[in-house]
Amino acid sequence: MPGKIEARLKELGIVLPTPSVPQANYVPWVVSKGLVFIAGQIPMQDGKPQFVGKVGREVSIEQGQQAARLCALNILAHLKNACGGDLDKVVRCAKVGAFVNCVPEFSDQPKVVNGASDLLVSVLGDAGRHARFAVGAPGLPFGVAVEIDAVFEIK
Amino acid sequence: MPGRVEQRLAERGIILPPAMKAMANYVPYTVTGAHVWVAGQGPFLDGKLHHNGRLGEDLTIDQGKACARIVGLNVLAQVKAACGGDLDRVVRCVKLGGFVNATPDFTKHHEVINGCSELMIEVFGERGKHARFAVGAPILPMGTSVEIDGVFEIEA
Repeated sequence: MPGKIEARLKELGIVLPTPSVPQANYVPWVVSKGLVFIAGQIPMQDGKPQFVGKVGREVSIEQGQQAARLCALNILAHLKNACGGDLDKVVRCAKVGAFVNCVPEFSDQPKVVNGASDLLVSVLGDAGRHARFAVGAPGLPFGVAVEIDAVFEIK
Repeated sequence: MPGRVEQRLAERGIILPPAMKAMANYVPYTVTGAHVWVAGQGPFLDGKLHHNGRLGEDLTIDQGKACARIVGLNVLAQVKAACGGDLDRVVRCVKLGGFVNATPDFTKHHEVINGCSELMIEVFGERGKHARFAVGAPILPMGTSVEIDGVFEIEA
């Protein structure tokens, strides 16, 4: 019998991406005392970085939101692994840290990051509501538009 | 009898700098239950900052990595202080947050922060494997090229 969150993903037509493998000497997530710390995720699809460019220049706000949404899908993919395959173990999303690769004049980072926050709430419901920061960065690895990390509480 | 981690440091010729005091109205680390939260550290060694500058402009990736390693030493110095001097109390490095002072065209922040990630594995082995982020910043305090904060799990 599929879990509650799996059923929700199905309702929303969401297929989680295959979790990426870190490019260096670190791990994609760590479980410590009931908390899962997920490493910063970039918008990866099929092993390739998507949405390369700067918001406010090559990347529009809508594209930035899609990039943020893709980061959140990657976060959920890793979270599922951290939960041994069972997303019903998630108690709540505690915190999200979001960086938007943007031009210095751009100040709508929160709108961009809503692409991720909205996805987490639509999948996890109230358990998806989190504290967050949404800031600009002058550059990000591989030149992607958004990088997001997260902390979850699990059973 | 020196602790396990101290022995490892000695084997590798790693000497930790003294734990830096905070530069403003905050503390260099906090302990909440089993977690140590280390404030963002800079590349202090022998009383001065090393490798100031900007990646993609006047610093090479190797210099950035060397800087990240020195920042890592400062992170470890704070963790040691938080553990009452005993690094054997570290259960694991949980997470690092890495900021690289870089030009907008620079895209290899992850390679720079590897200088710190590799140090954690060198010192703690498997228990050094951590989650992290590596991002660019347009400028960092005092013109440093790298700033890194960290979360560690320790024994009571």
